[in-house]
Amino acid sequence: MSALIALEKAAVGYGGRALLKDVDLSVAPGDFLAVVGPNGGGKTTALLTLLGALPLVGGRLVRPRPVRVGYVPQRDHVDAVWPFTAGEVALMGRVPGIGPWRRPGAVDREKVREALARVGIEALAGRAYGELSGGQRQRTLIARALAAEPELLVLDEPTNGMDPAAELATMDLLRALHGGGKLAIVMVSHRLENVANYARTLAFVDKDKGLFRVGALDEMLRPEALGALYGRAVAVRQENGRRLVYPTSAAEGNGGEGRA
Amino acid sequence: MSPFQEFLGAREIWQVPLAASAIAGALLGFLGVYVVLRRTVFVSAALTQLSTLGLVATLLVEERVHIGSEHAYEQLAVAMAFSVVGALVLGAFRARRLPAEASVGAAWVIASALVVLGTSRLVHAAHDLGGMVFGNAVAVSAGELATIAIVAALCTAVHAAFAKELAFSSFDPETARALGMPVRLWDAALFLTIGLAIPAAARALGALPVFAFLTLPAAAALLLRVGFSRAFALAGAFGVLAAGAGYVLSWLWELPTGPTMVAVAALLALPGAVLRGLRG
Repeated sequence: MSALIALEKAAVGYGGRALLKDVDLSVAPGDFLAVVGPNGGGKTTALLTLLGALPLVGGRLVRPRPVRVGYVPQRDHVDAVWPFTAGEVALMGRVPGIGPWRRPGAVDREKVREALARVGIEALAGRAYGELSGGQRQRTLIARALAAEPELLVLDEPTNGMDPAAELATMDLLRALHGGGKLAIVMVSHRLENVANYARTLAFVDKDKGLFRVGALDEMLRPEALGALYGRAVAVRQENGRRLVYPTSAAEGNGGEGRA
Repeated sequence: MSPFQEFLGAREIWQVPLAASAIAGALLGFLGVYVVLRRTVFVSAALTQLSTLGLVATLLVEERVHIGSEHAYEQLAVAMAFSVVGALVLGAFRARRLPAEASVGAAWVIASALVVLGTSRLVHAAHDLGGMVFGNAVAVSAGELATIAIVAALCTAVHAAFAKELAFSSFDPETARALGMPVRLWDAALFLTIGLAIPAAARALGALPVFAFLTLPAAAALLLRVGFSRAFALAGAFGVLAAGAGYVLSWLWELPTGPTMVAVAALLALPGAVLRGLRG
């Protein structure tokens, strides 16, 4: 299947300085790719370069055709002091498609209503964004991305700062939106365990180690790949149908399906 | 005859300045919503100083080359050029290597120092400069009223045509950029309108009220939690009210006009602050 969007032999970074080199990354329709690595490891830089929002330092960005993208930034990058309602925030997802001079119409408002309903917060459309809980704000930002009717949904640390229940609910929502491949999803996370039960493909990124490695989920959860990312022993264990990923000390035994 | 009756009887004196003050108040109040929400209040202070610097530079040139007559439009044009360039540099195309506060603070303090130095070298125009800098609403001409009206119409047109782009790019530039929107272009459009409005309004109101009107009416409106779109209308209305009531009260009570306007604008912010305090 041809890629929606791809980086080929790319060097990504800021101000002409490459943080990561030889990045090959391709996103096909229906993919669920998680970009994992430490904070400040270059994940968001790679993501924004993939979207064309940051210029390439080298290599190529390939977009065989125009792709409708929905983008969800880190929740704390969005200033909650602005007096928008959740519905108004979601409506912004339609702005690039409407274009200058024109105002949002009935179709745009219907798409926003549908998007809010898909993430389960239709009833909050009139509430001030700043008064919502962290989980509700995250759903509002996802609704905004969905309002653009995207083929590719891109999320930057969507569960950052959430309690475990809200984190699980958000990840389950993303799985439902992915729908087994109806929507391509690319998400960034600094927590591997957060995505190990959802993504199909993993990319490990750490600029300090010069690491950029992409592969299928099972391949990337092997000891050698995990060791390259974390630089220490990491165990992967199945429990109640869920993968648990955790670092271990040398004294601990290998109680799981993989350990680096 | 009561002071108010005297005021009404002097309509020919105050109708042009009052109209200019009201338009300037509405325009600055409206733009102030972006200034406050984008946390760029001190950018507007720096732009006001840059605009004054443009004025002083023009006066110096006029004196040095012995231009005898008043060249109000040239003075305004240079003030606008200084303010617009400052707005674009400090607002839209700011160098990311320095914290925003550093470049804004540097612009403000350098412009302020240059204004003092320039003023010290003025021989004839120094006494006129006080009115230009601190406002002399009584002396606004019909031409200056027309200039303010044209700038207000231009700014309103830009904000009406591109309201959703300006709002999205200001609220969440990261996402807007990720979706392919030219965020810097929209930032430039926004700061261009602010950069034009400040010197135009400063001719009627003075530097202090301009800075105040870019902050207080918007803060008053936002404290009332009326929502984004209504905040613009309310801030504009507060701007008109503060300018109008401040002008009339300064006449009746023989107070300096600019500071009276600022005091009224501050009073308008009280209900929202009390309401916000009660809501917690």
